[in-house]
Amino acid sequence: MKTEASSKTTTIDQQNAVPTPEARGKKSGRGISRYMTVPGLLVSLFVLVIPLLVALYMSFTNWTPTRGTLLEANLIGFENYSELLFWDNRFVHAVVRTLLISGICLVLEFSLGLGLAVLFLREFRGKSLLFSAFLTPMMVLPVVVGYIFWMLFQSNGPINQILEIIFGAEAAVQWFRSPNHAVAAVIITEVWHWTPLFFLILLSGLKSIPENPVRAAIILGASPGQVFWRVVMPMLKPVIIVAFIIRAMEVIKLFDEVFMLTRGGPGSSTETISLYIYKLAFNDFQLAYAAAAAFLVLIGSLTLIHLMLLPVRDRLLEGNR
Amino acid sequence: MSKPKLELVALRKEYDNGAVVAVDDIDLTISAGETIALLGSSGCGKSTTLNMIVGLEQPTSGDIHVDGQSVVKIPAGKRNIGLVFQDYAVFTSMTVYKNLAFGLEIRKKPRREISKAVFEVAELLGITERLKIPARELGGSELQRVAIGRTLVTKPDILLLDEPLSNLEAESRLAMRRELRRLQQEIGLTIIYVTHDQIEALSLANKIAVMNAGKIVQVELTTEICRRPGHVFVAGFLGSPPMNLFQGRFKHHADQLYFEHGVFSLNLSSTLNLVSIPSGRVILGVGPESLRLVSPGSGDASGLVSRVETMGSERVITVEIGGQAVHILDSAAVLPPRTEEAVDIAFDLNTLHIFDADSNLRIDLHETKVDHCEPAN
Repeated sequence: MKTEASSKTTTIDQQNAVPTPEARGKKSGRGISRYMTVPGLLVSLFVLVIPLLVALYMSFTNWTPTRGTLLEANLIGFENYSELLFWDNRFVHAVVRTLLISGICLVLEFSLGLGLAVLFLREFRGKSLLFSAFLTPMMVLPVVVGYIFWMLFQSNGPINQILEIIFGAEAAVQWFRSPNHAVAAVIITEVWHWTPLFFLILLSGLKSIPENPVRAAIILGASPGQVFWRVVMPMLKPVIIVAFIIRAMEVIKLFDEVFMLTRGGPGSSTETISLYIYKLAFNDFQLAYAAAAAFLVLIGSLTLIHLMLLPVRDRLLEGNR
Repeated sequence: MSKPKLELVALRKEYDNGAVVAVDDIDLTISAGETIALLGSSGCGKSTTLNMIVGLEQPTSGDIHVDGQSVVKIPAGKRNIGLVFQDYAVFTSMTVYKNLAFGLEIRKKPRREISKAVFEVAELLGITERLKIPARELGGSELQRVAIGRTLVTKPDILLLDEPLSNLEAESRLAMRRELRRLQQEIGLTIIYVTHDQIEALSLANKIAVMNAGKIVQVELTTEICRRPGHVFVAGFLGSPPMNLFQGRFKHHADQLYFEHGVFSLNLSSTLNLVSIPSGRVILGVGPESLRLVSPGSGDASGLVSRVETMGSERVITVEIGGQAVHILDSAAVLPPRTEEAVDIAFDLNTLHIFDADSNLRIDLHETKVDHCEPAN
């Protein structure tokens, strides 16, 4: 009761109080700051919200640039979506292929990145030079990486020459003629390009792990392997998941390297979902159908990222304890 | 439970090829069931000593014996010595149960045995209700209990506690201190307790080893160390405020013995044995409780009051005597002097401590009865 009374008094006092010039200044300051966000909001509206809404509307039509304007196109409901999900094998295959390539890339990049990060926890000669060297691929443009590896994977390119030197003449591979080898070439390129990101994130994660729990585990008799898997890895889990999410968001959009390396071929064996949507929109001019495909991918990606975040979401949001 | 004896023999730890000596040839013997406090200011080598005992660091030279056997070459996890860290170092990704069970799971003990041991220790520490909770949800004193429990579950021969109460709030610290004393009595482990807090050391340990600059300057029973500090550093470190130290010389004049400080002179003929008086420079130690303010003209020394601090029922008055800050402990009930006021100070001549100014070691000329730092409860 006492608390209620005192809080009531405070409220009355606050109502009766004449605002000081500073308070008035603060109030008007708040007003101005609110208006200062307007340009940013307008830019977001025109660049993000309106195009997204137009694309969403487009995905429910049968519009193509050859059939007049978007407003003249017929609304066909979920026809594009049902076509994509139930009848378009090429779309489903592209989705599955993208997920498969993404999964393999993420596992390889994580394993290699973790191995390198653990290696870089120790002191050795030339460490800073190697550190810069390992980070370099990440800084190269995806298109450039695609072009470099397109040259490297040529029939008489350096990779085949090295394979021939090591394993003999029959070891040379026609990288872009066989579906499996083409997928392997895409994965190798992607892993080379993005392992440094995992390496960097995991290294900073490992460096930020407190030393004493590790020392406590050693004193309790844990072997280096037990310390790593039972103490270090659980503490690194939020960092690992964040690294996976960042990379997953990127690898699902895999386009540039595939475009430069294989254009989705041979056949459609390396056609990722981005490449398929690109072809639908810019080769076949089925813009409405491509918009529906893009929305399906967006929903899928959001669901996937949400599921990946679930194990650590609470811990990431709870703040410092 | 076995009752080993730990011995540190000329233990030394150097860093940067000898440029930094963290631990400087220390010798220490700890009996089974004894609790010894390694007391010293930050950076004096306490934690490095613990790290060497537990096996996290290798000594540069010297040896560590447990039950008469050298353990220097035995890896940390096989020494059966437990260490509780200042920051708890609890595995926050695990539940309290998993934390407590960790050591036994590593040793591949049967599940039933692990469960029994975990519940016993949890009961002992009062955390049975918290066993299923993730450790990251616990507060400071609970985390400390988990850290202690995780070590106790493995039944270590020796338990090392590295400033275990430093991160706790005052109230929790007091409660945990009582808890540790209870555990100590119930389990009877050999414990080395590292702290920079003398109250903790005095209230928890049977013996105190005071460290300074990598050396152990004195090892003494808790009940004795305040009464008879054996080294100038100990005299100047223990107590709050610590002992006042005055450099000077003894001089004979007309059959009387005087302590000659640059600013004042004390007639000690009635207090000290005239035969064994040292001829060189000495340091006179006087506890703040052995000094009192007297009416002008009737004291042994004069000075100006520079600060008056009231702490509960007591008051610390700082008086500048010849450029030296001298602390006097007085009752807060008495009217305090003003700052900048000229005052006279009288020495209680029966409670003086004398140290050799070259070796810094105590010179025993008479029996001191006053306990300078009063062990806390």
